[in-house]
Amino acid sequence: MRENFLVVENVSKSFGGVKAISNVSFSLSGNSLLGIIGPNGAGKTTLINIITGFIKPDSGRVIFKGDDITGLPGYKIAEKGIARTFQIVRPFLHLPAYKNLIIPLYSKRVKSFRGGRFGDRDTVAIDLLEEVGFERDSSVPYKSASSLPHGYLKRLELARCLALQPELLILDELFSGMSMSEVAATVPIIEKLKAEGLTLIMIEHRLRELFRIADKVIVLNFGEKIAEGKPSEVIENELVKVAYLGAESA
Amino acid sequence: MLTGIIVYGLVNSSILLLVALGFCLTFGVSRIANFAHGAIYILFGYLMWIFLNWLKIPFLFAILLTLVLSGIFGYVAYYVAVRRVRGIVLSEVVSTFALGVGILEFFRWMGFVTYEFSLPPIKKGSLYILGFPIDYQRLIIILAAIGLVAFLYFFTHYTKLGLSFRAIAQNERTAIALGIDADRVAALSVAFGSAFASVASILVLPLGIISINSGYEALLIAIAVGIVGGLESIPGMILASLVLGFVQIVVGVYVSSAWVMVVYLLAIIVILVVMPSGLLGKFKELEERV
Ligand SMILES: Nc1ncnc2c1ncn2[C@@H]1O[C@H](COP(=O)(O)OP(=O)(O)OP(=O)(O)O)[C@@H](O)[C@H]1O
Ligand SMILES: [Mg+2]
Repeated sequence: MRENFLVVENVSKSFGGVKAISNVSFSLSGNSLLGIIGPNGAGKTTLINIITGFIKPDSGRVIFKGDDITGLPGYKIAEKGIARTFQIVRPFLHLPAYKNLIIPLYSKRVKSFRGGRFGDRDTVAIDLLEEVGFERDSSVPYKSASSLPHGYLKRLELARCLALQPELLILDELFSGMSMSEVAATVPIIEKLKAEGLTLIMIEHRLRELFRIADKVIVLNFGEKIAEGKPSEVIENELVKVAYLGAESA
Repeated sequence: MLTGIIVYGLVNSSILLLVALGFCLTFGVSRIANFAHGAIYILFGYLMWIFLNWLKIPFLFAILLTLVLSGIFGYVAYYVAVRRVRGIVLSEVVSTFALGVGILEFFRWMGFVTYEFSLPPIKKGSLYILGFPIDYQRLIIILAAIGLVAFLYFFTHYTKLGLSFRAIAQNERTAIALGIDADRVAALSVAFGSAFASVASILVLPLGIISINSGYEALLIAIAVGIVGGLESIPGMILASLVLGFVQIVVGVYVSSAWVMVVYLLAIIVILVVMPSGLLGKFKELEERV
């Protein structure tokens, strides 16, 4: 089970004529961190949408902890413990930041973990916000999400996922739009989560940070997996240099 | 005269709010414009009448039964009439409107059109406020409107289901990613909308007879209040009900009661042209599209 925590098998998805994902397979062992990289439009987000049930694949299977979860509705996959952030932040804009966490804290999944702790959801929410770098004793956690700067919204996405107490956490370009110092402050949080036993998938364009913390990286290009390996191996891969790094420096 | 306008303005505004609340709740949560709303309002008026007059069910129990059945009806109606066309706005409107017309015309065909079809008031009699007579039923309507708004506030702020309603309303995809079943919540939002419609019919229909036309009028009221108020803000709905309710009474007194219906239509057109998101509504969809 630790070996095949998540298995993606021959997954394909087309939109009209565009092959967003073609025949991609990979597997992920428990308590590891997988990086997914690739140029814009490579199909990274589509792959995540397939894993998390937002898009049904045309073919292929997704297996989580031995269960076939292919095509299950998104809310069921969330209940099974797969949490995701969105590349474009999607807060509950008209709720205060800490209330954004109330929904997952009310979920079946968390209730089964936390037993009868009914009254202290707000405190748990504030704790979680503090964990991702909201200043606890300031007014920030109580501000409406619509008034928060982008960096905070990114971290709110993260906190919202943590509130669900996930087993697999998928971060879609968490660092993009964050300042250098915010990224620097967030990396240790992710390392800590992994040390606590979480399994993570990170889609990132910030390769330096990603390569430092990833155990394995897969590279997508035009919907195909063109490379897979340790960060050090992937950096040296000629295909990757051409497809990805070449594109970036151009 | 002024006392009369204030009292009857408040009563009228409360009626509009009661009739519109369910329609706006459903739309606010799941963006479903339930064009069967007016028909549901009448359907449960007639059912209540049948419970009381044919089945001889005791009054309070008949109310309870009506409320429960209307909720179940809304839940089922979502899966039957809306689910398959969900997200295709025009199809949703056509499908729910067809359901509504079907219900209303069924009762016309059944011959439910005579003056014997009326519901009893909750409490008979009247009292004086500032020297002005008002019957208990109208007073109860005002109190019920206030009570229902208070209920809605506490429900959406302090219950799990109410919070799910708000989550879906604000960001459906995020809510799904956090384990909320959007379909079920949408069905429940229609269920609540129907139950609210039946509350309105139990309270408002005793003021007159139950008629097919008032079903179409109820839909018009719901749309007018929704559009003027901005469809997803409770303060907006209250404000819209007050504005429309008082304007109607003033028009009825100083112009002619024949013009009262025109107020809805004019209000809809003026608001759509001048401030399309309503008096207090926000164009949330814009943020969504980014
Ligand atoms: N819902 C959709 N409908 C139609 N086409 C889509 C949809 N989602 C993605 N695509 C297309 O699929 C391809 C892959 O998109 P995807 O968003 O997965 O790329 P990405 O690797 O996440 O890119 P980025 O780095 O810009 O986020 C693109 O060509 C995109 O236009
Ligand atoms: Mg993407």
